[in-house]
Amino acid sequence: MGAFGHYLSAHFATLRLEFWGLLVGGLATGFIYAMVAIGYTLVYGVLRLINFAHSEIFMAGGFASYFVMKAVIGSSVPSGIASVGLVVLGIVVGGAASAMMALLLERVAYRPLRKRNAPKLAYLISAIGASYFLFNLAGKEFGRYNLSMPAPYVNHTVFTIFGAPVQMYYLVVLLVGVIMFVSLDRIVATTKLGRSIRAVAQDAETASLMGVNIDRTIALTFIIGGVFGGAAGFLFGMGSGVVFTMGFTPALKAFTAAVLGGIGNLRGAVIGGLILGVAESFSVAFVQAAFIDVVAFAILLLILMFRPTGILGERLGRSA
Amino acid sequence: MKDFIKKPFVTHLFSSIGVLAVIELMTGPPGSSTTPTAGFSGSFGERASFFGLFPTYRFVVFLAMAVILAVVWSFWHARGAQIRHGLNTGLATPRAVWQKKPVRAGFLLALLVFAILLPHIETDPYWQSVMVEQIAVFVLLALGLNVVVGFAGLLDLGFVAFYLVGAYATAWVTGALPLPSLFGIHLNTFWAIPIAIIIVMIFGVLLGLPTLRLRGDYLAIVTLGFGEIVTIFANNQYGITGGSMGTNAIPHFSIHLWFIDYAWGLASVPYYYLTLVFVVIFIVAFSLLEHSRVGRAWTAIREDEVAAESIGINPLKYKVMAFAIGAASAGFAGVVTAGQTFYVNPSSFTLPVSINILALVIFGGMGSITGVIVGAILIQSVSMYLLHSPPAGYQSSDLYIYLGAALVLMMIFRPAGLVPSRRRSREIGMAEKGEGHMDEVLTGDTP
Amino acid sequence: MTTDSIFSVEHVTLRFGGVVSLNDVNLTMNRGEILAVIGPNGAGKTSLFNSLTGVYQPQEGVITFMGRDAKPMNVIGQKPHRVSAAGVARTFQASRMFSALTAFENVKIGAESHKGIGVVGAMLKGPRTRKDERESDATTIRLMDFVGLREKANTIAASLSYGDRRRLEIARGLATNPQVLLLDEPAAGTNPAEKLGLATLIRRVRDEMGVSILLIEHDMKLVMSLAERLYVLNFGGVIAEGTPDEIRANPAVIEAYLGSTADETEKQA
Repeated sequence: MGAFGHYLSAHFATLRLEFWGLLVGGLATGFIYAMVAIGYTLVYGVLRLINFAHSEIFMAGGFASYFVMKAVIGSSVPSGIASVGLVVLGIVVGGAASAMMALLLERVAYRPLRKRNAPKLAYLISAIGASYFLFNLAGKEFGRYNLSMPAPYVNHTVFTIFGAPVQMYYLVVLLVGVIMFVSLDRIVATTKLGRSIRAVAQDAETASLMGVNIDRTIALTFIIGGVFGGAAGFLFGMGSGVVFTMGFTPALKAFTAAVLGGIGNLRGAVIGGLILGVAESFSVAFVQAAFIDVVAFAILLLILMFRPTGILGERLGRSA
Repeated sequence: MKDFIKKPFVTHLFSSIGVLAVIELMTGPPGSSTTPTAGFSGSFGERASFFGLFPTYRFVVFLAMAVILAVVWSFWHARGAQIRHGLNTGLATPRAVWQKKPVRAGFLLALLVFAILLPHIETDPYWQSVMVEQIAVFVLLALGLNVVVGFAGLLDLGFVAFYLVGAYATAWVTGALPLPSLFGIHLNTFWAIPIAIIIVMIFGVLLGLPTLRLRGDYLAIVTLGFGEIVTIFANNQYGITGGSMGTNAIPHFSIHLWFIDYAWGLASVPYYYLTLVFVVIFIVAFSLLEHSRVGRAWTAIREDEVAAESIGINPLKYKVMAFAIGAASAGFAGVVTAGQTFYVNPSSFTLPVSINILALVIFGGMGSITGVIVGAILIQSVSMYLLHSPPAGYQSSDLYIYLGAALVLMMIFRPAGLVPSRRRSREIGMAEKGEGHMDEVLTGDTP
Repeated sequence: MTTDSIFSVEHVTLRFGGVVSLNDVNLTMNRGEILAVIGPNGAGKTSLFNSLTGVYQPQEGVITFMGRDAKPMNVIGQKPHRVSAAGVARTFQASRMFSALTAFENVKIGAESHKGIGVVGAMLKGPRTRKDERESDATTIRLMDFVGLREKANTIAASLSYGDRRRLEIARGLATNPQVLLLDEPAAGTNPAEKLGLATLIRRVRDEMGVSILLIEHDMKLVMSLAERLYVLNFGGVIAEGTPDEIRANPAVIEAYLGSTADETEKQA
């Protein structure tokens, strides 16, 4: 007990020291995970399918916004209103590119299977194939090395919380995240589109009998998931740069977040993302850098084994 | 305007342009961050000749090909059903003949004879080492994954972990790892075979017990995660596995027993024959398994797990068994790799390799032993050929572009695979018609 | 619980989230009887079956199954395959066969499932394995004869008619050598001729094979002619129990059904 006790107290001391910094960083990462998780949870809700290729939807947004930022900003250092405009541009471009990628994916890799009523295993395999196809093609076309995105703003420390610096980047992520999540919540709750998504998620056959256009609803679901994934890709790219393999790890963690919050549950995706981001951030104080990814995976395994319906419970779906 | 676009020929034209554009990107020159459109401009902007008739730009040739493709597509759209019907009636007899077990066995036997003679036909040392390292080893891996995915219907995306454990277990038993071997005894690599296989099977059982209760889509992600963790572990635990450098101290196989005194060295061909012996053993064992009580229980679980449970089949037990058996084959592949190349290194056991093995099984025909063998031989030969004499602009990781595309295309056009297992194609057909309860396990819906 | 009872359900309550599927259900089934459970749709009949076979785990109560060697077993908490091994067989409301396999293979899997695993034996095709397989084959043939599907042995299960599927499920269940057979709406989707055949078959299962029968059915005529005793469920609770005559006259039962079924019941009275 002695040695382990020492280990724990030493690492807890680190945690206490760095608490606010880790918390802020974790929340920012968490928002990004949550945005990607939205894509997984939406598609799962209507298709009962894990979209393995969502990682490449995320990547598409990252690359598209990278090229646009590079073209527009170049080597200048924007500030003020220009910065705001550029961030909006990045979100829009990233979201649009990812939405298009999502639609393409749905059309090519999933719709033929849906029309044929293929067994679910076929969708999984098709998704994996599409994922491998897309990211390796990106690697071939754009190079297999990390590219750092020119910053649309000066990433200075805006203020500090208890000594931990809060940089512009964190504020941007927070703001974008909050705006997008609240809008989505309102859309799903009040609009016709939102109702059709919920209807298809509950019972596709009945929904189509009631006049809901299934193909269109599914396409729109992919688009929404794509927009969120692309925005996340831009935000992630600003922080860590873009590379053809950028989708793999964040997407796996976002999936964990979606399950953590309750697959199919939109609010759950957000909560799951935030919890996962913060948990991961805190574990930096305890675990070697190379093993951080294992933390997320351990959370996934624990959730699946002990509470597979997640924290807020599965929603948008059939009951037990 | 919308009507015009909806016209079949027009949609086919746009789709053809899309398809050809993608193919051009896939096969064109690589780009980079500063020349992201190199793939396009290299493919389209250059001068070329119009099928040898007159000089023009490549994109003109491209558009012409797109039109031709669109025409063929529209023709198939209109007449496809009839053609397929004609083909089916024409192929009915050969297909019926192929279904007979003796015919398939005969085919495998012929393949075996050819395999035995192969080293004498192909004497290029590069290709001989390929035969062992890539083709024979991947046949073993495909046979193993076929038990897991094909027989038991479990999508395991971390299968490469078993391959890794087999290789590292061999290294450990022969004393080549920083981790000291049991009781400090360094065994001959040949005796490592049974021990490594047992270790891998135990690992398979330990991995399977907690994860195989999960439904199919979650199982896929979890196995993928486990595969990654095993790789991370191998890469970072310098004290146990030698970290990212691995180890290169594994002795070659040798037998010194009674009258048998033979040592394998660097030459590939003796390894080839050794591996071939075991490939045959595994083929026979798995074939018997497929048609036994265990194979039938796997089929029952795959088709309707709830019904299978209701007649007394314990799904977890059979699934764990499938894992262990598949792992044994992969583990043996690891032993061969470790013994022949005398080094192990985590970079040979990454996730893309799992996907590679999956592609062999899916392409060849999941559930069909003949199918996955054919699939493994074909795909690995092609991928090795591409490495050996790469066409212009080909980089080694481009292989995954093709594998990924192959997986998608197979699912769309021929999910049962190139050489389908009769039972599997029937099951897929049933699922498409809405019969059966195959997807319950995948989606977690229960009665 | 008497030595004569085969199932004893005591104070069983089953909840799904906010929905109470079974509400303090008490039921006894005697060895050798043909017992029926009836009730309007959604009354909890299939949930009861699922609880009796270990598919659902009721939150309250005890379900005791008296196995072969007079060893009682609490079904709640057991996995379905163990309940099957103890001697409980069942069919499903929507026939669950292994649709891509032949009828013969369907039944054979049932016959084999209670023997040990023997992976190594399976791979080596040793003498014990071959003997076991011969026995399974013999049992399968015998049962297919019994249910009248011998000629269709090599048909793919998916191409069988509804009536044949029911028979196949019964054969497969019998192949596990059970003490009791739970039939979930065996006559659903069958025509009158098939119904008669099924009724005869069910009686033969009890009379010739000594297997007790627990039956869920909506077809009143069939139930009243076949069952020796009935329980009536409504909204998850037992509202009546007795012989067919007693049930027919029971006002609570008539009220529960209302509408056409009640008229039908009255006409037969």
